[in-house]
Amino acid sequence: MSRRNALWFWVFVGPFALGLALFTYVPLVWSVALSFFDAHNTVTPTHFVGLDNYTAMLKDDAFVDSLKTFLVFTAFIVPATYVFSLSLALMVNRLKRARAFFRSVFFLPAACSYVVAALIWKMSLFNGVRFGLANTVLGWFGGDPVAWLSTTDPPWYWLVIVTVRLWLQAGFYMILFLAGLQRIDPVLYEAAAVDGARPGWTVLRHITLPQLRATSVAVVLLLVINAFQAFDEFYNLLSDARGYPPYARPPLVYLYYTALGQGQNLGLGSAGAVILALVIAVVTVGQARWLKLGRTDADG
Amino acid sequence: MTSISRRTLLAAGAGAGLLTACGSNTGRGGGGDGGGSGPKLSQWYHQYGETGTEQAVQRYAAAYKKAHVSVQWRPGNYDQQTAAALLTGSGPDVFEVNGPTLDQIQGGQVVDLTELLDGVRDDFNPAVLTPKTYDGKIWGIPQVIDMQLLYYRKSLLKDAGVEPPTTLDALVDAARKLTSSKVKGLFLGNDGGAGVLGGTPLYGAGLSLVTEDGKVGFDDPAAARTLGKLHRLYADKSLLLGAPTDWSDPSALLQGLTAMQWSGLWALPQVQKELGDDFGVLPFPKDGSAGRPSVPVGAYGAAVSARSRHPEAAKEYVKWLWVERTDHQEDFALSYGFHIPARISLAEKAAKLKSGPAADAVRLSTEHGYAQPLLWTPAGQSAYQDALSRIIKSGASADRELRAVVRKVSAELDRVKKKS
Amino acid sequence: MDDALVRAGRALRLVLLIALALLFLIPFYLLVRNGLSSEQDITSPEWTFLPGELRWENVRELFDDPSVPFARTLLNSALIAVATTLGTLLLASLAGYGLARIPYRHANKVFYGILGTLLVPAAVTFVPSFVLVSSLGWISTLRGLIVPTLFSAFACFVFRQYFLGFPRELEDAAQVDGLGHWRTYWLVVVPNARPVFAAVGTIVFLGAWNSFLWPLVIGQDQSAWTVQVALSSFTTSQVIRLHELFVAAAVSILPLLLVFLCFQRWIVAGVERSGID
Repeated sequence: MSRRNALWFWVFVGPFALGLALFTYVPLVWSVALSFFDAHNTVTPTHFVGLDNYTAMLKDDAFVDSLKTFLVFTAFIVPATYVFSLSLALMVNRLKRARAFFRSVFFLPAACSYVVAALIWKMSLFNGVRFGLANTVLGWFGGDPVAWLSTTDPPWYWLVIVTVRLWLQAGFYMILFLAGLQRIDPVLYEAAAVDGARPGWTVLRHITLPQLRATSVAVVLLLVINAFQAFDEFYNLLSDARGYPPYARPPLVYLYYTALGQGQNLGLGSAGAVILALVIAVVTVGQARWLKLGRTDADG
Repeated sequence: MTSISRRTLLAAGAGAGLLTACGSNTGRGGGGDGGGSGPKLSQWYHQYGETGTEQAVQRYAAAYKKAHVSVQWRPGNYDQQTAAALLTGSGPDVFEVNGPTLDQIQGGQVVDLTELLDGVRDDFNPAVLTPKTYDGKIWGIPQVIDMQLLYYRKSLLKDAGVEPPTTLDALVDAARKLTSSKVKGLFLGNDGGAGVLGGTPLYGAGLSLVTEDGKVGFDDPAAARTLGKLHRLYADKSLLLGAPTDWSDPSALLQGLTAMQWSGLWALPQVQKELGDDFGVLPFPKDGSAGRPSVPVGAYGAAVSARSRHPEAAKEYVKWLWVERTDHQEDFALSYGFHIPARISLAEKAAKLKSGPAADAVRLSTEHGYAQPLLWTPAGQSAYQDALSRIIKSGASADRELRAVVRKVSAELDRVKKKS
Repeated sequence: MDDALVRAGRALRLVLLIALALLFLIPFYLLVRNGLSSEQDITSPEWTFLPGELRWENVRELFDDPSVPFARTLLNSALIAVATTLGTLLLASLAGYGLARIPYRHANKVFYGILGTLLVPAAVTFVPSFVLVSSLGWISTLRGLIVPTLFSAFACFVFRQYFLGFPRELEDAAQVDGLGHWRTYWLVVVPNARPVFAAVGTIVFLGAWNSFLWPLVIGQDQSAWTVQVALSSFTTSQVIRLHELFVAAAVSILPLLLVFLCFQRWIVAGVERSGID
């Protein structure tokens, strides 16, 4: 019986696992191998350098800076997206009419590619001259045009990055939360009302949030992975023909320029990628542990 | 990518005409494949913007009889695509490249082309041939020369009572005076100049990126002093930032968003068409007593991939196209965009380059042109560009930033020297 | 009084929602406004909410553009997105079902092996993947554009979670009827799991339609370009004619919006009943 099950297991899982092995694991192992070699402009290097690429990467201020920047960015964008999409879900969920309409409007941006979104933000919404929409609005109030993406003091580019990210992603997470909210047993709310709990904050804190914990764990994990792997919108907003400015530079963008551009230092790039993957793994696992711990506390 | 290189320079410049190109279909439509018999060769170009360029290169390829050449026109990040393709056997046989880079040469990714220039080597502009020469051998045949320079609106300068600046201090001053609530004084690109200027201010201070004997060329207090002045431009709010088009496109100057703009030679026909006589061109001004004006020049080169299945046929084709067929070279340089032919004899003959601002530009390129040295590697370049950005925008101490760059570049120079 | 408070709260919420909805729609509005404007109207210092003249011919010019076969790129994108979606659904749902339902000693190890790849940024494996696909001779082929992207750990994960929560009674009944795993899956499980297929399918379709780097590098011949590559051929070269860029962008997202609006209900239903969370 168990042998037959094993056979069936592989009939179902085998094709997928095989493809994943070939198209993900082979390149992955290959990359990790490259990270121990001096691999300038080659994927079949011969000069073994041990951990040199790793030490070089960890000593590289630009790379370490980008890791730090993205720890901070993650610490900000994760709660921000979380709160924003949860608020959207709560508001939409309470609607009696036009619910599908609002849900569609907030979800629609998820259909946009990062390339298109970056185009709108960079060329039209937040361009630095007088015919950008943001600057037009500023102009109505007598303000001077702001070069949103080029100004480092104050760092307005974060406003551009955060708004485009929220616009693109909030709707998707809102859907996840909406689904979670649908599953909460209405009896819980009725009981709370009987106990005299005022709708609003108390109910949110003592019923809604605990009931949404499973959804929250998933959302936070996806958000964390997403934040560290940020690439597309940053690249499309801030890079130009000559490269990428030394601020708001995600680790992946930095590695991209190191390993995939004219600078084809594949060993160094791979070492950086491994370091990044480790950081992501540590943060994600830590997060999962912490959130799950929270659950046992609440349940106990 | 991060390099100040000619490739990106051209790629960017290409944009100027790209969309105009969309509107008209000149030349033989679409035929991508050459008519020749013999081996199949694949040739890559990055996407030029000028109307008709793609049709022209198709035409050249079709006219070659000894091989069947198919042209690929690559949009997007060309460096990245060629870099990846060169790792495999499915890449191009012949490709244009800003370089080849030192790592490509040392990594054996490109073929030695020295013999192709037998007898005509002296006719190629040495400024752009030198960075394609390594170990005494030539690894890329220059196609056309490009350069960058400072455009200014004569009328706006006159209204503000400003003379065309000949020193960096005067430039800073002029940019400030030219700035009003509607118009900015100077446009150096949306990043404030860190990308496009690169080593140009260093050469303006009489320094260099890498010296001829392969040492760091800016380990000198004058470097910090000069770069520090660029921050003044930013701090004075004289710089145009966040324009929808970048420095490579003259739109900002033409739309009246800025009074002066650093751009490429390729922009000249368009500027001339829209502004008539109301503009002039300048080199990057000198700074300090040892300073001299500077303009960056460079050339895309045609290279042959070492993984080509027909390296000899590919070499023969490159020789035919970029050495023998001077008619094609002249057509390519001057009929679509605006470039200086890489061969001195052709450049001297070209009527379009003999008068007006075009003649000024050519003169600037011969008198003050510098090309990025081969030893200036992407890693060193990106460290330098980061530092320059921080100096310009954040007012970081130029001294301290440059010290870190010098360390990094020295390490890179050691690395590439060890390999040779 | 409480009633009044509640009503005021409700009104406030509605106002807030409407304001947010307007903000969310602004980018779409800009896309259309700029796409139908002339160049002068876009760069005019005086802001106008609608261009002086709606230039529908921008759309025609885009499709007539000789330098980019725009219609062809749309077709390529559609082909690739549909094939990727169907392939992914098939492979990932089978795997998800196997992991969730077929008892096997090493099932958990296999599952974590699949899940772990979610942590690895695609850029990390980009160059070796490219070399691998190239050595298979798949450059500029539909195979090369589609096959390597079919193995989505995310999709597999969603299916597994969904099938874990799938009512066992249905399958048990099927087993009693003597159906094996294979026929149970096709005859009982798939017909009852449509929402999750719709949800995952939409997400995969969006990803396939919007992906850029892989098609750019694999689709070397112009005949293999996708619409995102065509878009980039306008953007990377320092565009002058903003309106062409915007109209191309607008056209490129139109099919998606349609797919999206049609399937939205399914996505919500699918998410609700699946274990995405």
